[in-house]
Formats: sequence, structure tokens, C-alpha cells
Amino acid sequence: MRNAVALATVLGGLALPASASAEDIVLKFWDNQQTESGLSQYQKEAVKSFEAANPGIKVEVTTIPYPEYQQRLLTAVQGGNAPDVSTIDQIWVAAFAEAGAIDPLDDLANKAGVKADAFFPGAWASANYGGKLWGIPFNVDVWQFSFYNADLLKAAGVEPQSIATFDGLAAAGKKLTGNGKYGIGLFAHKGEDTVVVMDSFIFSNGGKVLNDDGSCGLTSPASVGALKYLQSLAPYAPQGVANAASGDMRELFLNGSLAIEFWPALEQPTLQKSKLNWDFVDGTAPAGKKSIGTFGGWNLVMYKSSPHMDAVWKFIQYLTREDVNGKVVDLIPANVKAADAFLKANRKGPDRILEQLNNAAPRPLSPHYLEVSNIEVALAQDVYGGMDPAQAAAKACKAIDAVK
Amino acid sequence: MRSNDTDFRLSAQLGFQPLEKPRPRPALRRIARARPPKFAPRRGAWLTWMFLAPAVVLVGAMMYYPMIGTVVESFYSTSFINPHPQFVGLALYKKVFASGEFGQIVWNSCIWTVFVVLFQNLIGFLTALLLNQRLPTTGLMRSLVLLPWILPGVVGAILWRFMDDPQLGLINSFLLSLGLVDHGVAWLASTSTAMAAAIGAAVWKGFPFSTVIYLAALQNVDQEQIESAIIDGAGRVQRIVHVVLPSMREVIAINLVLTTILTFNYFDMIWVLTRGGPENATHIFPTKIYELGFGEFRFGEAATYGVFSILVLALLIAAYFLIQRSGLRWRTR
Repeated sequence: MRNAVALATVLGGLALPASASAEDIVLKFWDNQQTESGLSQYQKEAVKSFEAANPGIKVEVTTIPYPEYQQRLLTAVQGGNAPDVSTIDQIWVAAFAEAGAIDPLDDLANKAGVKADAFFPGAWASANYGGKLWGIPFNVDVWQFSFYNADLLKAAGVEPQSIATFDGLAAAGKKLTGNGKYGIGLFAHKGEDTVVVMDSFIFSNGGKVLNDDGSCGLTSPASVGALKYLQSLAPYAPQGVANAASGDMRELFLNGSLAIEFWPALEQPTLQKSKLNWDFVDGTAPAGKKSIGTFGGWNLVMYKSSPHMDAVWKFIQYLTREDVNGKVVDLIPANVKAADAFLKANRKGPDRILEQLNNAAPRPLSPHYLEVSNIEVALAQDVYGGMDPAQAAAKACKAIDAVK
Repeated sequence: MRSNDTDFRLSAQLGFQPLEKPRPRPALRRIARARPPKFAPRRGAWLTWMFLAPAVVLVGAMMYYPMIGTVVESFYSTSFINPHPQFVGLALYKKVFASGEFGQIVWNSCIWTVFVVLFQNLIGFLTALLLNQRLPTTGLMRSLVLLPWILPGVVGAILWRFMDDPQLGLINSFLLSLGLVDHGVAWLASTSTAMAAAIGAAVWKGFPFSTVIYLAALQNVDQEQIESAIIDGAGRVQRIVHVVLPSMREVIAINLVLTTILTFNYFDMIWVLTRGGPENATHIFPTKIYELGFGEFRFGEAATYGVFSILVLALLIAAYFLIQRSGLRWRTR
């Protein structure tokens, strides 16, 4: 009998964190890490403050590397082992909502006074699907900023601000390419970075990926015009665009053989550690127009399977608060006021970044987004591979419209 | 339970000579004459099943249950956004056949498997011949040859991604220094070269496996036959063709089937190098199944591709057993 009691005590101890008592609610929180910023440690420290302010609620933080996150979260949700609360990519919101995995937050947000104006417009839009609010924006970034090597531009006689226009960027690419150097870092490997950069050029040229009725918008003159433009830049890019990733372009940029690379603001900590003389402009648009970047980022969602809705909502509110949000993200806080403070403290050109964030558009909000994204990657490879952009767009639209 | 007869035969087989065959005792004689009931289980059978049960349960739960589940799932439209399976019969098979992508994946899988297996075994055999010589550094070379094989698959793939890089890669630096190309070639980014580059990387990673198997087989080739061939005036190539290869045919056949199964299922090399691109030029069954299942959450279609994969593997496994059985026949002739 004494052995049984001892065994039960040991098993009980294993089931809960050391500091949790039997009456405590234990929330499972999952997030992913995209940079080497020590995010997991910051989040654990923030959780301690939350637990101190909310006796009876304990939080288990699980931080998963970005490349593994989708598979592990999907498997957990599908297998009925979803966490109570997690971040999900903006592009997964519609699918998670359709799958019935997450709960709408409209009522809770209305009661608590959580409103759209506290967040970047594109980020808030990404959390809304089918007329309901499914998540609260947690962190954001925008593709793309055009980071440039100021020394290479100066040597080639290129005015940095000129690369903010379609014509200026193409002219700069021509001047900067040659003698083992490359002008513009294009990439079209199978990855979301390929899609967001292409989307940004399409948005900036007035085009759309999906029309408002959900049909494919890639064959519109504006979208095809953007694809033609991207194809015209290919001669100024390093060889191997079809299998290149943004990470490959970063290597060339850092070793001084690439003049202009496309990245979100997330790239700045890496460049700050380098000896390069670098700066950036906000994306690229036709002359007289403003560039429209593609929103990236993550929203906090509450899982339907969680038995602790109230505690989850308290935790979501806490993580997106102005004074906390900046301490628990490795991109840019989605809370506008937190972002302002974060950017001023950590990033070069905070005003330019804010401007681009306020002007960015989310990717299509579709439950079939991941299929659309793969079709867009094929489109990018077709375009950079030399196929007529109008034909490539028609092929992509046929595939997108067939997705059910 | 062994009888005295069995003990006698066993002793004889082991080389012991019992003084005389012991006569069964009268009581035991009666028992031996009595026929066991038709359906009564033998004690030995129960014991056998008891020992086998954990393995059977484990294999059933870990292998056959998911495999049967995959076949069943291929008849249902299931995806992440439609988690309640809807029976659609053969609709997913029709969709997959009609997609055009299926044909390309079958073709890619054939090219990939045939060339990787061919070159892996050829290079493996030639390396084994080299390592079978008595040279001062043979021991060191045998260890070094194993290096690609013992590297984790992902590490090997990342290494080749760097090697193939058009700007920074070692292969292009070498070709440029020889003047064979005038600019770096994007091996993994062109539909015409990506598969060849991936095959090259896979052969490099896998040939030591074949080398090890062939080296072991070479050391078992009858030296007397080789010496006879030398006396008969056979040259080096003739000795390999007429003596070495025939005596290794069973090992070669089994190695070919094994490497075919492993190559057909090879995932990490292609996934890290190209993710099946560019323009699906390197997509094979495992990468397509992963992309559909975990990239697009389309479990039903992933299961359909999985069923084709299972069928091909079942044929290969059947070939493996046939070869093994015919090998036993060769030996007993």
C-alpha cells in the first residue's frame, strides 16, 4: 500500500510542472522560433510575470524551430492533442477555422475592448475569416524591404532611392551586374519566401492573387505586368533562381557579391552584425505609386479542445498587451504601440518600417491557401524559367480555380 | 518435447556416437503409439506463439495497421479542413491519374531508382574490388570509404547543396579552374540537370553500403577456382566475369533488390536539395506524399500516392524473396 502511494505521488509529480499544485490550471502554449534571439527564454520570463499576476494559472511554454512547427502542430491538432493556445501563421487561419480546430474570439474581444485599431490593419485582416475573428495578431513583418550594399551602389553610380521604382530597380540591376557581382537577389525555390516577394510585386502593380469572389486574379493585366517585370530582372540575378532561397541570397549579400537583396525587417539583426555598409528602401512599385508589401506574421489562437477558455483568453490578452508584446516576439510586435517602441529600440529606419507595415496587404485568406501557395511557386519557376508570363499565369489560374 | 529418436539423430548430426540406439521404455512406447487429438495444440506451438506475440503485435500495430489505414484513407476525401472522412470510392485515384503530375512522378521515380541503383552498385563493386587487394593502406581506405554512408542523410544533402551551388560551390570552382565552363552552372535549378545532380549525390551517399556487401562476398569467393582460372590463362577481366561474378550472383541480386527498395523510399536527399523542384523535375513518391500530407494537409490524396508506393514496394519485396528462394535452390544443387 505504501508503495502504491509513493508511486501515485511520483506519477502525480510527473504529470504537472514542479511548481504547479493539483488545483492549478496548466495551459499549454506553443510558439515557433525563427531567429536566434533567445525567444524561448524571454517568453518564459514573461510567463512568470503572468503566473504571478494570475494565481492558479500555470503556463507550459513549448518553443519549436520554425521548419518543424507546421508538421508538429498539424499532427498534434489532427491527433486530438492540440495545445490550449498557440501561434499560427496568418496563412493557416482560414484552414484552422474551417477544420473546426479553433474558436472564434469576437465575443471575448468585444467584451474586453480589444479592437482592430490597436494592431496593424493587414495583421488584423489576416485574423478575420468568414466574418469572424479567429485570432489576435501576435507578431508581424513585411516582405519585402530592398536591402542594398551602399558601397556597391555608389561604385556603380546608382542613387539608392531609385531602386524603389520598377524602372529604377531594373536600371540599377543592369549597372550593378558584372565582374562577378550580381545586381538583384531573386529566388524561386519551393518556399513561402518565393510567394511573398512575387505577391508584393503583384500588389504594388495593382494586381491580385485571388479576386474577391475567390477566383484566380493572376491573369489580370496588372498581375501579368508584374510577372513580366520580374522576368525582366532575371538577367541581373545570380544563376540558379529556380532553386535559390532568400537564405542563399543573404550569403551572397554578406560576402559582398550581391548588391540588392529582398528580406523583411527580420534581416536587420544579421546585417547589424556584419561589416557591410548597408541600408534599405521600402519595396518597389511603378513610378508614382506606393509599394505594397506582403504581410507575414503569426496570430494567437484558442483551441476548441481546450477546457480552460477563460485562462487562455487572459493569456492571449497578456501577450498582446502594449507593455508585454515587444518582449515576447522575435519578429515585430503586432500591437502598434509596442511595435513603435520595439522598432525605435532595435531597428534601423523605424519610421520607414512602420510606413511599410501600415501599407502592407495580407496574402489571400483561403482555407486552400497552402495549395494556392504551391501553385504560385510553380508560377514563379515558370516565369523565371522563361515561359511567357501570360501563359504561365493562365496555367496557374487553371490550377487555382480547380482547387476545392 | 523431444523424443529419444530425435536425441539420437541430433547426436549423430553433431558428430557424437551413442553406443546404441536406446529402446523406448514400455510406458513411453504406448504414448508414442497414441495419436494426438486432431485439433489439440502442441505445447511447442503455444510456446512459439508466446515468444512471437510481442513481435507480431508490434509489427501489426506499427506497420500493418498504418498500411491498411493508408489504403482505406485513399477511398475517402480527407483533409485538414475536412476532417470528417467522406467516402468517394475511386474518385481520388481518378483525380491523381488525370492530374498529369502522376505520370511525371512515376517517370522521375523510375529514373531516380534505376540510375541510383545502377551506379551505386557499379561503383560499390569496383570499390570493393579495389579494397579487396592487399595494399599497405587498405585498412585506412576501407574506413574512409564508409564516411559518406555513416553521415546523417540531411548532413550529406546539405553538403551537396553547397557543392552544387552555382556561385560558391566546389564543383563549379573546379570546372571554372579547368576552363570547362565560363560561369557557374546552377545544377539544381535547371530541369535538365537537377535530377542528374540529385542522383550523383545519392550515389555518393549510398555506394559504401554496396561496397561493404560486395567486399564481404568477394572474400568468400573460392580461391581455388581463381587459381585454376589463372592456370588456364584467364586474364583479370575474364576472372571477374567468369569466376567472381557467377559466384557472387546471389549477393548481387539481393543487393540490387535491397538498394532498389531503399532508393525508391529515399526522401531526405531530394527534399533538402530541391524539394522536388524545379517545376517538379525531381519529385518522387516520398517527396510528393510528404508535400501533399504535411505541406497542403491533403491526406486523402497523399494516401492515394502512398498506395501506389506500397504496391511498387510489395512487388520489389516479392522479388527479394523470390531471389532469396532461388538462391537457396542454387546452393542446394
